[in-house]
Amino acid sequence: MEASSVWSNIFKHKHKENNSIFNVLRRVPIFKGLSVKELNAVERILHRRTYRKDEVIFHEDESGMGMYIIESGHVDILLGQDNKLLAQLTDGDFFGEMALLLEQPRTATAIARSHLKMLGFFQPDLFSLLETRPRTGNKILQKLAQMLAERLYKTNLENRQLKLKLTDLESQIKEEMA
Amino acid sequence: MDPIIRKFIKFVIAGLVLLAIGWLLVTIHSTLTILIIATLIAYILNPVVLYLEVKGFSRLQATIIIFTAITLLIAITGYFLVPPLIKEIMQFQKGVSSGTAGIYLQQLNNFIDQSIPMLNSESLDLQGKISQWLQQLSNSLFFIIGSIVSVVTTLVILPFASFFLLKDGRQLKRSLVSLIPNRYFEMTLNIIYKIDIQLGGYLRGQFIDAVIIGFLAVNALWVLDVHYNVLIGIFAGLTNMIPYVGPIVGATTAIIVELVHGGGGQEILLVAIAFAIIQLLDNVLIQPLVVAKSVNLHPLIIIFAVIIGGQFFGILGMVLAVPAAGMLKVLISEFYTGVRKYKVV
Repeated sequence: MEASSVWSNIFKHKHKENNSIFNVLRRVPIFKGLSVKELNAVERILHRRTYRKDEVIFHEDESGMGMYIIESGHVDILLGQDNKLLAQLTDGDFFGEMALLLEQPRTATAIARSHLKMLGFFQPDLFSLLETRPRTGNKILQKLAQMLAERLYKTNLENRQLKLKLTDLESQIKEEMA
Repeated sequence: MDPIIRKFIKFVIAGLVLLAIGWLLVTIHSTLTILIIATLIAYILNPVVLYLEVKGFSRLQATIIIFTAITLLIAITGYFLVPPLIKEIMQFQKGVSSGTAGIYLQQLNNFIDQSIPMLNSESLDLQGKISQWLQQLSNSLFFIIGSIVSVVTTLVILPFASFFLLKDGRQLKRSLVSLIPNRYFEMTLNIIYKIDIQLGGYLRGQFIDAVIIGFLAVNALWVLDVHYNVLIGIFAGLTNMIPYVGPIVGATTAIIVELVHGGGGQEILLVAIAFAIIQLLDNVLIQPLVVAKSVNLHPLIIIFAVIIGGQFFGILGMVLAVPAAGMLKVLISEFYTGVRKYKVV
């Protein structure tokens, strides 16, 4: 084989690999709107982790430092002692993003349901990105804030509806008592 | 297999692995020293690279710029500083082993002999001890690694290693972290991050502090017309990084030199006052401004850390004792909380 074709093959492979990661990253809301150069910078700081089937990624109540993005494979998110299935995640999905801002116990357990490839993005990485590439870091932070604000908005709506239902129920009970 | 036996075998294997690692560390002791210094240089320079990266340079460009600047700086200071420094060391060594200094030392020996008769002057042998100490000083100060690996090799390897550690340190760290099993991964990341926060500022601050103290000492000794002011000044700056003992060592060296050269009480007093003022400035002004974070260790731990560091790596070990002890403290406390928080065990 010629030397040049060896090199081109290596680079093609690397290029292909990068493209697949980019496709995964582009699906994650906090990385939306980043240029190729910025995605490259993000890719350089992500941690690639591989998990066996049925391996625990993290337990509920464990301390967490960041989020995971699924490159390929399936993850089950389980809640409580009876391991109630909360969500099933697959390629391009992500979880644990709250821990990027808040070092708090994980709210659920995550388990690999197949051979799993993931990208880890952690608090120290976000902070170092904010330091070295403030523009990129700020874009991510803005998207993260947006995402959390949307979630808060939804939760507020749900909360309001629940409160309304509660007052309705309370008045119904009062009427029945009377 | 019985779980107790399995546990026991695990412990034995772990112990053997630790022993092997310990043996390896002792064997490659000299290479390790170069690696430690290179890592330290890279670590201290890292914020400058980060600053240049923010300004739009690539990591490689930033590293090249910094190394070019440092080479120029060393060349310029070297041009002015090295010839007098070498002259000073040679004069100093010659002066102690022969000539007037020998007579003064003999006088000092006699004086001690007369005033403190219970001290055996033969076992005291001030001149011999100072010569020996000087030999060690010049060895450890300027050729820390020189005695084991040749100086030239060190001078080539050290910049080379620190260049690549600075350029690729981040990837290197990431690759090392990637080797850690999934179960301990997040915890390790957390520990590294906390150690970096706690020690980064301290180490860099200490380095800047040492440069300032060295500069002040050189100038003060120059004004007071003390011999070998450059040599003693640099030495005082370096030893200032050793807690408690360091500042005294610097001042004592200057006083001994003054004594050896026949300085009277007034000169010695002036040198002592100069060092006291520098210490005051250091404690009141420079330290609070430059050394942002203390490592928060008990003085007793610091003293023992300094002694142990000195036993293993000489002056370098003493300088690095406090950050190493601080690192160990973070490691242990974070590991302890980590084990509970991350439910590893």
